[in-house]
Amino acid sequence: MLYAFPASSPHAGGMNTQIRTERIAEPDDAGSPVITVSDVVRSFPDGDGGRVRAVDGVSLAFQRGEVTAVLGPNGAGKTTLIDMILGLNTPESGTIRVLGGSPRKAAQNGRLGALLQTGGLLPDLSVKETVQIIAALHKNRLPVDEVMETAGLGGIAGRAVGKCSGGQQQRLKFALALLPRPDIIILDEPTAGMDVGARHEFWDRMRDTAESGTTVLFATHYLEEAEQFARRTVLMHSGKVIADGPTDEVRQRAGAAHVKVTWEPSPEELEALPQVISREVRGATITFRTDDADALARHLLTQTGAHGITVRPASLEEAFMQLTSTNYGDKESGR
Amino acid sequence: MSSQANEQGTRTVRQARGGMRVSAYILMDFWRNLRNFANSFFIIVLPTVLFLIFGVSADWNEFDLPDGTGNVSAHTMVGIAVYGAATATTSLAGSAAVELQQGWGRQLALTSMPHGMFVLAKSIIALVMAAFPVLLINLVGLFTATEMDPERWIATALLTVVASLPFALYGLLAGLAFRSDAAVGAAAGLLVVLGFLGNNFFPLDGILLDIGRFTPMYGVTALARYPLTGGDILSTGEGTLGTDPLWALLLNIVAWSVVFTVGCFLLRRRSTARR
Repeated sequence: MLYAFPASSPHAGGMNTQIRTERIAEPDDAGSPVITVSDVVRSFPDGDGGRVRAVDGVSLAFQRGEVTAVLGPNGAGKTTLIDMILGLNTPESGTIRVLGGSPRKAAQNGRLGALLQTGGLLPDLSVKETVQIIAALHKNRLPVDEVMETAGLGGIAGRAVGKCSGGQQQRLKFALALLPRPDIIILDEPTAGMDVGARHEFWDRMRDTAESGTTVLFATHYLEEAEQFARRTVLMHSGKVIADGPTDEVRQRAGAAHVKVTWEPSPEELEALPQVISREVRGATITFRTDDADALARHLLTQTGAHGITVRPASLEEAFMQLTSTNYGDKESGR
Repeated sequence: MSSQANEQGTRTVRQARGGMRVSAYILMDFWRNLRNFANSFFIIVLPTVLFLIFGVSADWNEFDLPDGTGNVSAHTMVGIAVYGAATATTSLAGSAAVELQQGWGRQLALTSMPHGMFVLAKSIIALVMAAFPVLLINLVGLFTATEMDPERWIATALLTVVASLPFALYGLLAGLAFRSDAAVGAAAGLLVVLGFLGNNFFPLDGILLDIGRFTPMYGVTALARYPLTGGDILSTGEGTLGTDPLWALLLNIVAWSVVFTVGCFLLRRRSTARR
């Protein structure tokens, strides 16, 4: 939506249209990844004289237009990884390329927009002044009013940033990320401090941006956001990528589904069940967790007296718990 | 490589659309600092009021200085203007350091502005802010009690602005050490004490003068007054309390500048080691 101005749009000067044409016609970007992270390591002192690896040998590639969630608990290394992709921090070893060059260059050329997690705003500027002052520092920028409208800041333009709620500040940061008309937009915990309504509203706005072909990479610990918004999910834990793939697949990989039946089995019958990870018995109701719901359901219905069967896929949260606790031997990187 | 050529092409089109406006950034950031009441009060209002009390209305101000280059009001005016200018550079350099550490620097790093440009922009803002109280106090002096030769007057005014420069390092040190605006405010507030010891407000003598000589504001203040006094130390009574040689004043300035600079480097190392 952001870049797709119809010719009659009040915002679309001839120049805008021209830029759009040029950017779409970039042949170098078609096919090759827009972000390449190769074997990146970054450690910090742990306070006891040693060093802790915040990012530990991560390799990832992101294609143009892809929407990816980087999911992990606090301390998983998400922010450190994002800082390096933005050029705010440098890898100890390994390389990061953004749009064929260094992250710093991509950021300076305004091709990389970011919503940063911590700080990043001056409390004594008004919302509009903040957008204006950052706009002045971009070589190429969208009109301030347009960005403020997209981010939903119209009603609080004159408010001092220090008096804005957490959600309002996140929206302001979103506006700053949109300012340079970036090809890639990176969001570090974008909905932190927002209530549920504000979160939905935020992702609705974000969806418009993503649909315009912008590559989106966001870090979150709200599993629901990854499920609803990202086609691809990268799961991080202790600085490593422990799962990476289509969000649905990541969920399936991690312990698949729950099968619930009404049944009073003998110990031998229980023993004979295939593909069971764990079970929970509540009176006559048993819930199995399984990594192959089809096989288990077939067995239960054909070989036993179980009835009233329901199958429910595991949530991403459960997938996450399982992947992080077993640490999933075959960690995947790249796709 | 085709990617190179394309990158180039895109950039040309983008630059044709507006380009970076660092001047707009400087103006907006200057306005932000100016409307900060606490800042402006200590930088502009307080020094001007102090000057009106000690340098204009007090009856000793009309007396000529011992060597006849100006009156006592001129001596007081330079001291208080140095204090105002030093407060400006202290609080602006300090708040710049706090801004950077609190994440605004990360936001700026995602724009087209190089870091060197940020330092330059902040230096311009700090210098203009430092020139503010100097100009105002000198104008008040001109229209009230102060008497000085025009060339000495201009020389002291320019040196007053220069004298504020080491205090940018002092403010930076406070900002790096405590990482909060409150600490920078306290450091700026402490300048009242340093100004008292630096002979800025009221002629010292005895042990206070002996101690004051070694404090950071003494050197720059005596240097700013040098065109007026030639290094002579004014007393509250008749005559002078001796003469500071120029080299001693410069030594004070250089020594304190080195102390502040080394402190900044040590703190920077600490902060980069931490993160």
